[in-house]
Amino acid sequence: MKLQLNIKDALFTIITLLLLLFLNIWMQDIFDTKTLIPMIFVLGVFLISLKTQGYFWGITASLLSVLAVNYAFTYPYYAFDLISPECVASALVMLIVAILTGTLTTQIKKQEKMKAETEKERMRANLLRAVSHDLRTPLTTIYGSSSAIMENYDSLNKEQQLKLLGEMRQDSEWLIRMVENLLSITRIDGGNVQLTKRPTVLEELIDAVLIKFRKRCPNQAVEVEIPEEFISIPMDAMLIEQVLINILENAVDHATGMTELKLSVTTKDTFALFCISDNGCGISADRIDKIFTGYLDRDTSPADGSRNNMGIGLSVCAAIIKAHGGEIHAYNNSSGGASFSFSLKLEP
Amino acid sequence: MNNNRYKILVIEDESNIRSFAKTILEANDYQVLTADTCGSGIMMFSSHRPDLVLLDLGLPDKDGLEFIRTIRKQQESTPVLVLSARTGETDKVEALDLGANDYITKPFGTAELMARVRAALRISQYSSNPSLMPDGKFKLHDLVIDYDRRIITIAGEEIKLTQTEYNILVLLARHTGKVLTYATIIREVWGPSDDGGVKKLQVNMANLRKKLGEKPGDNRYIINELGVGYRMCEESQE
Repeated sequence: MKLQLNIKDALFTIITLLLLLFLNIWMQDIFDTKTLIPMIFVLGVFLISLKTQGYFWGITASLLSVLAVNYAFTYPYYAFDLISPECVASALVMLIVAILTGTLTTQIKKQEKMKAETEKERMRANLLRAVSHDLRTPLTTIYGSSSAIMENYDSLNKEQQLKLLGEMRQDSEWLIRMVENLLSITRIDGGNVQLTKRPTVLEELIDAVLIKFRKRCPNQAVEVEIPEEFISIPMDAMLIEQVLINILENAVDHATGMTELKLSVTTKDTFALFCISDNGCGISADRIDKIFTGYLDRDTSPADGSRNNMGIGLSVCAAIIKAHGGEIHAYNNSSGGASFSFSLKLEP
Repeated sequence: MNNNRYKILVIEDESNIRSFAKTILEANDYQVLTADTCGSGIMMFSSHRPDLVLLDLGLPDKDGLEFIRTIRKQQESTPVLVLSARTGETDKVEALDLGANDYITKPFGTAELMARVRAALRISQYSSNPSLMPDGKFKLHDLVIDYDRRIITIAGEEIKLTQTEYNILVLLARHTGKVLTYATIIREVWGPSDDGGVKKLQVNMANLRKKLGEKPGDNRYIINELGVGYRMCEESQE
């Protein structure tokens, strides 16, 4: 990688210098003056220092420029005269330009990196704040209800107790889903982590998703359409399973009035395209742009302490698909309802 | 007091999980022993001879896998049910390859736990008492495997299988209810030196499932455990 960059830098340096050399020869003929020549070389040195890594190429370019000017454009023509004070002075100016530009670019690059780091840090802090806030609500229910039952065991009738216990179980299930999503995020967080991609049979993936989904939402049927032939896709199956379940559950939670939920997979060229569509209420215009980032981007928690409607689920989906090198989209269907689609690369 | 109750050993270091497992198992009329370390688990195992072991993998003294290794070395066939945290397929595969019979992913509900416990106990009964499968035939819903004539029928209709598909089906049927990992099936069907790998198995399995008329999300015969292996359903799981 480093060597490659250096070759690229070297090529850039050589080409720029050669171009400028010819430009100078041409200009000398047209304008019949030499005042422009050093300026054009200074411009070249500036450009090279700006575009290449580190100081090396900038300094090389400045020295080469001095030599070129000395050799071709000053008296004695086409011969070196390296000890004249004029030559030394121009060499110094070129060097200073190269070094200063180099320093400046390095600093800017460093700042950009720090900015990206801060942005990541901000996202992480937002995530932590959002999650801690969201965890408090179900914990309050579980803690409160269990205390209520223990402290009033004799005065509560069976029906009341069962109701409280049922709510505790519901909120525990919500907590389980939340923790699963968080685990998925930590598995791909950092960006450097290589996913453990294994060839996964499409039919088996869909099978696993449907069984898991039915356990959570037994009353929602899913219509499935996948290709007949054997398709194997390299992926982290556990994470993609999570993506599909999150999107299906999102439809159950948010697509009001939905009667049909469809999961289809098609292949096109080197991609498999997954699409989940419903015929519910669709996604409102103010949500659709932020649907995959909403959870992380909100800076303030809702004041009333209600649970965030922009669940963590879709943000996790986007992160997982991005880590797989695919794309995820959400859009409203022309016939009503919403669709989520994402693509994964097929086996080469 | 019924003295014929099944004895179940629960090895788990989290006292709350131990307590709820004990409560639900006792409520279902099982006799429950508990241990909180791998070492005491092995001791309890050899002194009480339980019928089933529920094993947590993250134990304070040793890895739970060590327990499986120890008792399998002693030629014990007692079913072991692993309680696994969701960290990935690899630890499940490792536990199964060492000789665990099944796994439940934490957090689990009581209904799921009880279903797995009942299944594991039933399987161990089958294998110690082969006469429960009479007349050389395997039956599951409307699927019948006639071992003697090597014929598969579904609702009386014969299904044509290739030799490999037949071998896979029979292997799964012989271990009904138990998850067989990819590596195990490949070793049993193609022999230990085969390098064809998982892909060959997956292709054969896809064809087999299609011939049996399985649809995604609706498996009547073979359940696929994503990234781990396959398992033959049991009659009562429906």
